[in-house]
Amino acid sequence: MNRRKLLSLLGMSPAMLATSKAEAQQHKAGPARSSSSGPEKLTVVNPKGTPPAIQLIPMAPRLDSLNGKTVFLVDTGFHGSDVLLHQIEAWFGRNMPSVTVVFRRKAGPYMEDDPNLWKEIKANGNAVIMAVGH
Amino acid sequence: MGIPSAPLVTKAFKDLALLNAAKRGMPHERICFTPHPVWGKTPEEVRAYVEGPDPVSGKPLMKEIVDALTVPLSDEEKRSGMVSVSVGPPAFTDTADNLQELYLNNGYTDFLPVILPTEEKVEAMMRATSHRPDETVGKMAAGAYPPWSYNVRQVAASAVMAGCRPEYFPIVLAIASSGVASLFSSTNSFAFAMVINGPIRDKLEFNYGIGALGPFAQPNATIGRAWTLMSKNLGNGGIPGDTYLGSLGNNLNYNNVVIAEHEDANPWVPFHVQRGFKKEDNVVSLFRGLGVVPGQVARGSSANENVQFDYQMSDLFSTFTGFFGALIIADPLVAARLKEQGYDTKEKLTDWLYKNTTQTVKDYKSRNYAYLFDYPRALRGDEPWASWYKMPDDALIPHFPHVSDINIVVAGGQTNAYPQAGNLSYGVSVSIDKWM
Repeated sequence: MNRRKLLSLLGMSPAMLATSKAEAQQHKAGPARSSSSGPEKLTVVNPKGTPPAIQLIPMAPRLDSLNGKTVFLVDTGFHGSDVLLHQIEAWFGRNMPSVTVVFRRKAGPYMEDDPNLWKEIKANGNAVIMAVGH
Repeated sequence: MGIPSAPLVTKAFKDLALLNAAKRGMPHERICFTPHPVWGKTPEEVRAYVEGPDPVSGKPLMKEIVDALTVPLSDEEKRSGMVSVSVGPPAFTDTADNLQELYLNNGYTDFLPVILPTEEKVEAMMRATSHRPDETVGKMAAGAYPPWSYNVRQVAASAVMAGCRPEYFPIVLAIASSGVASLFSSTNSFAFAMVINGPIRDKLEFNYGIGALGPFAQPNATIGRAWTLMSKNLGNGGIPGDTYLGSLGNNLNYNNVVIAEHEDANPWVPFHVQRGFKKEDNVVSLFRGLGVVPGQVARGSSANENVQFDYQMSDLFSTFTGFFGALIIADPLVAARLKEQGYDTKEKLTDWLYKNTTQTVKDYKSRNYAYLFDYPRALRGDEPWASWYKMPDDALIPHFPHVSDINIVVAGGQTNAYPQAGNLSYGVSVSIDKWM
């Protein structure tokens, strides 16, 4: 991830990368005044809220290979997801026939969790391919 | 789950997917990408996607997927622990012109000039509430993101920037406390609305007469604007490609639809009383949806003695998505006429509208929202969708799932008998008095 994305991730505008004319300072009690010849300087509040800290989650260990394994194809419910996943299923049939493919449509609208499906996959599957956003 | 996974996302949502994964603790999640869109493509076209390259990496897509599931993890991918997040220093010092530029470049504004939130102005804003500057007001997210939190002082900064007078601040705090952001990540370009009820409408001189929905009064204009600035600054919303995906955007997002109900000219009970508050309570109620359309576009909308506003409203609703509800904004002349025609309560009118705004099952199933949201609910057995999907194509069903999806408020200057209607769902009502 590049620095621009990292800043965005951290809740900071990528514009912070550019050299700003404004001087970022810690809180002061009142407005700062410039010399008599310069324009008046103001101290203003940073309006941003407080982002949550991020709890890093270790990724699940990978498989040695997919040979002989069961891969669940999970349809999120977005238009065309099923068409795409069935083409992936067909690709496995042509190219990696030892892989068992199980197609499931996630229950409920795309934004809702489906804990029963996760239980089924954990009990019977080795890997998941989930699709898709639009 | 402990099972290796390969999420597949279309290229248009690359930044969203990568950033959201990172915010949720997996900055190196192995996301694979297809060309965009998948929607509307034939199986043959999609097969070409599958056999072609990942448009982000340029590598064969299926190799990317297999690698995502089988290549051993790097040390970075195994990392755990907490990462703190910074939004910069608590204050900035510079000239007014440079600070306006800084706020613009940092995405703090709606790209219109703002009132700079100096210490003095923020302090003056906070004197309008009895709540402490460091008191937590709420949490907000502009979609399925980890929510940000904020205190009274942080809310005050956005209120100042929007041009609010200090006496408006309890309303702004009430909106902030709801946690509802007025900028939402959906590709659908959502719009938002608020209804203000109670004596505070007159005390602060809200406009609920001529031009009630227009730019003709300071509280209507600035409190609505403050909601959007809060959504950007407190909820981190409105970052195109990251926390905002609306394809066309929505002009109503500048200051939202602010409706102070014309309670004196309302022949029915005020909206907040319907929600269990007392008439003397000050309340803000929030709505979410797609926008507002004028009643003049409806069939049978010519103004004569036989005008049937109930049929007009029903006609307007027929174009609405049933995923959201309907919010009728009735000029007092419209409300009075409806009452003369026998609708002596709001409930009588909403009941008639619910029963008489119908569609065939075939038309319903052809709607985008039905496939995306209702069909999965039907598969799960949720009602009324499960029953609707079992009916024959020519059966008539209500346009909205529940009668409570239809709401009515009264506002306007009585210069003509026109209603407007929003494809807007009621969300929540919040006490303003609690934040005084």
